[in-house]
Amino acid sequence: MVPVMGVLSAFVFAAQMLNFPVFGGTSGHLLGGALLGILLGPLGGLMTMATVIVAQALFLQDGGILALGANVFNMGALPVFFGYAVFRMLGSPQRPGKALGFLGFFVGWASVVISASVCALELGISGAVPLKIGLPAMAGFHAVLGVVEGALTAGVLSFLARVRPDLIRGDSGARFGLADWIGGFVMVAIPVGILVLAGASKLPDALQSLLAGVPGSAKPAANLLSAGRYTDYGVVLYCAILLLFVVAYLAARAGQNRRGGP
Amino acid sequence: MKHSFVDRYANLDSPLHLLEARTKIVGFSALIFTVLFVHPETLGQFFAFFFLMAILAGISQIPMQYLFGRAFVLLPFVLLAGIALPWRGNEGWTWFLALMFRSILCLLMLVLLTNTTRFIELLRGLRKLGCPKILVANLSFLYRYLFVLTDEVMRMRQARDSRRVGRAGVLRELRTLGSMLGTLLVRSFARADHLYEAMLSRGFHGEFPVSDPRRFSWRDFAFISVVALFVAAMVHR
Repeated sequence: MVPVMGVLSAFVFAAQMLNFPVFGGTSGHLLGGALLGILLGPLGGLMTMATVIVAQALFLQDGGILALGANVFNMGALPVFFGYAVFRMLGSPQRPGKALGFLGFFVGWASVVISASVCALELGISGAVPLKIGLPAMAGFHAVLGVVEGALTAGVLSFLARVRPDLIRGDSGARFGLADWIGGFVMVAIPVGILVLAGASKLPDALQSLLAGVPGSAKPAANLLSAGRYTDYGVVLYCAILLLFVVAYLAARAGQNRRGGP
Repeated sequence: MKHSFVDRYANLDSPLHLLEARTKIVGFSALIFTVLFVHPETLGQFFAFFFLMAILAGISQIPMQYLFGRAFVLLPFVLLAGIALPWRGNEGWTWFLALMFRSILCLLMLVLLTNTTRFIELLRGLRKLGCPKILVANLSFLYRYLFVLTDEVMRMRQARDSRRVGRAGVLRELRTLGSMLGTLLVRSFARADHLYEAMLSRGFHGEFPVSDPRRFSWRDFAFISVVALFVAAMVHR
């Protein structure tokens, strides 16, 4: 499993060199999250995307170190689990044709829009960009960009169905295991938690009173970090990111144990 | 084929290069974390950071041009993120400037880290600091295979361009691209299989040995002390 994931990480990197000209001077390329979820399953796909995102942060200084938790969740976990879940639930069409093409397109397109929307939600609760502006902008912009991702996902899947149909997993018959449940829980619980937090923050200073309610946690943090009013929310966000990272790590670890290590 | 990769100055011989990887990872992480909590209105602290970065960059012997080139490549994205801030009046301007300073500083630190440490040593340091084995193994495969697959992509692009004239329609273009990606994927899978069999038959057990690892020395102690003092000064105010 390890060499497959490693080489596929390199594949995602290399595949991003193959640009497709969109309008004007910009160009789109494959992001690959949903595709990897379909090909490698949820945990293999997540590890591969995590590797790519870590490597981008380290090599290209792209994406950031402290935002790794958020990035791995938004661009790794969400599209991978989404792609996998859709193909698992609906069952993958085994032969090339309209069904496979359409499903591939939908999964690729939707995964990009989901990632962007959740990112806007996160920005909303952090107070950086108001949700009212951020969500329509991010979702709308990526609904257009997602077309390229959808088309490429469909193209690759159709090609694979012709050449190596055994690589497309979908209904491989395995039952939902512990790791799948953890993944499913993360997928459902985090957005719900974000929504609840976002709702709470509409009340004046609800988050601050939440922090102040925990004895001894708000004061030292405020003194030590000594920044202005928006770190109060920042602390919550960083805790959430840390939590995401831990959960993702545990899920990956559970999967590794189940598969018997590298 | 020619690659311009990002850790191209990692084989120099400066005092910063001679540090153990763990020292640098911990030190730069602490600095990055601290700079994110500098108050937007205390410009003096940002300048202290720039001063420290300038000294470290000078010691590292990496050409200034390259350093700033890499750090500024990503600035447009930061600009995009902070573009709305100046419209919030004076306070907005302060935040905007703070955002710029923080981004540039973080980028400079990361460029310094990756360009003073060979990648394999960086991974070894991460592993020793408790990074999961599977992630480190994945990263090292990624690093080794990046060049091979990039060559593959270049060849495929050349083959496509030499077989066609002008540009086809959008749909056809996408279909070609899909097939190219699919081919690349199939070849990657095949390569991974061959590779793994070859590695297993040579005794691979999940980790890569490193030749000539750096040792912890007085230099590391000095570096960590400087960083710790600096961070303490910044946090204390």
